[in-house]
Amino acid sequence: MIFNVRFRRRALGKLGIVGIWALCLAFFFPILYMVLTSFKHETEAVPPQLFFSPTLENYRTVLGSGILPHILNSMLITVVTMLFCVLLGVPTAYSIVFGKLKKPDSVFFWFLSTTLLPPVSVIIPVFLLFKFMHLLDNRWGMVLIYTGANIPIAVWMIRSFLKDIPRELLEAADIDGATRVRSFFKLILPLARTGIISTALLVFIFVWNEFFFAVNLTYINASTIPVYMASYMTQEGLFWAKLSAISTLTVLPPLVLGWVSHKTLVRGLMMGAVKG
Amino acid sequence: MKALERAAATAKANALVLPAAIIVALVTQVPLIVTLVLSVVKWIVVRPDLGINFVGLSNYIQIFTTPEFYSIVLNTILLTLVSIACCTILGIAFAHMLNRRFPGVNLARTIMIAPFFVMDAVAGIIWKTLMLHPSFGINGLIASWLGIAPTDFLGKHSLLTIILLVVWQWTPFFVLILLAGFESISEELIDSAKVDGANAFRTLFQIKIPAIAAHIEVAIMLGLIFILKTFGLIYVTTAGGPGISSTNLPYIVYRTGFYRWDVGRAAAMAVTTVILTLVAITALFGFVRRKTNEVES
Repeated sequence: MIFNVRFRRRALGKLGIVGIWALCLAFFFPILYMVLTSFKHETEAVPPQLFFSPTLENYRTVLGSGILPHILNSMLITVVTMLFCVLLGVPTAYSIVFGKLKKPDSVFFWFLSTTLLPPVSVIIPVFLLFKFMHLLDNRWGMVLIYTGANIPIAVWMIRSFLKDIPRELLEAADIDGATRVRSFFKLILPLARTGIISTALLVFIFVWNEFFFAVNLTYINASTIPVYMASYMTQEGLFWAKLSAISTLTVLPPLVLGWVSHKTLVRGLMMGAVKG
Repeated sequence: MKALERAAATAKANALVLPAAIIVALVTQVPLIVTLVLSVVKWIVVRPDLGINFVGLSNYIQIFTTPEFYSIVLNTILLTLVSIACCTILGIAFAHMLNRRFPGVNLARTIMIAPFFVMDAVAGIIWKTLMLHPSFGINGLIASWLGIAPTDFLGKHSLLTIILLVVWQWTPFFVLILLAGFESISEELIDSAKVDGANAFRTLFQIKIPAIAAHIEVAIMLGLIFILKTFGLIYVTTAGGPGISSTNLPYIVYRTGFYRWDVGRAAAMAVTTVILTLVAITALFGFVRRKTNEVES
């Protein structure tokens, strides 16, 4: 993680540093404690103990307990949705920024306005439609709903990264006789690559963590990890060490991706908002 | 000829937008219209014998004459407003603290933002068990150190517990955005404030915070949109209870639609949620804009 930290003239007292660290650690504590508990024996997990003999037993049990199909579901649905969002979001954003749409701003705001809709306002018709089309508890149904729900945020982010590219570059390429398709692949895409990748990671995080649609539209075959977690909690909620192990496994992918991409994500969000 | 070329270019641009627009419309706009239609019918999905009947506004009249519905609306408003207020204050405090150089600042920032990436289901589970469980959680441990009876957070203070969890998850998001804001303030601005003799406190409130107004606005906007839809946290921790004490609008729509299968009434509640969301966003946007103008003038 690379942060740009500026020097402050006034040095911070030792006490101040300890204070800031203590506050950050307090905020992080639930996650830390979850990871620690996942390496404990069940008998050491309850009540809380500081010292314990670490074991991988919980991970072994949990991975053998039927979570694998749900990890697979999550992986498949998340990755396919991510690809669709990029494949559909990039052309849309390109068209809004560089294309000759009649009203590019209205198109953009239409996409943006759909993110304001609470999911509860669409869930019942979507449920009935899925039931009718036999898409309930179906991975492709989930891909469809997640793609539709995340394209707007992808368009928002990618648009702000594309707006950052000077128009003159594209015009110069036009004069050199390059086709728009060629300039897109040779010029635009390399310049916006980091932004597009971060957008894809954001979609990954959102879809991986999504709960509402997953719990209402899947049962057994297509259910993702969050749904499995909720049912695991009701069934095996007494085994805290195993619960912690399974939780640690499921939060790891979005956590790592979040740590890798957050700088670019914030830049994308802010540019989209400030430049309008 | 020129006009024809332009028309062709527009057609090309439209073609690029169309696939995405169709999918987005299919899963957002079309269902929204269907929800509006459903909100004026009586339809119990598990009772096909009763059929589907047009009942006018009776679903709306029913929900608005139930006192419980008002408590649920109030819960939703409280949950959202209190969470956003806490997130904004904590976000500014943490971002300001972390906007300086000290040993391990990168690691401190990294662990600070972590809760934002933890899924609702897991956040709910670890807080319900490891942290807040009255006997075996950290809650019980601290209570025994202090020699007091542990607080039954989920039972006695259910809405407060949900707020606590939302704040834990969303403060990191505010920190991310606001930290970027603090980093973008130019050194000259701070220096000129120092030359004018402003102390650290005044510099923060009169220079730095107004300078990051746009960042605060974005954080609050996105926070509002997401916190209004809080569902997973409630589902895995309190299930809306005890009673309806921690039920918000998304949760009651889910209960009404998928437990009682009363899709008409659930749709009416969903429409109410949409209206409330739009009102909240418009009001807050106006409020933030006014505040920003006040500070600037």
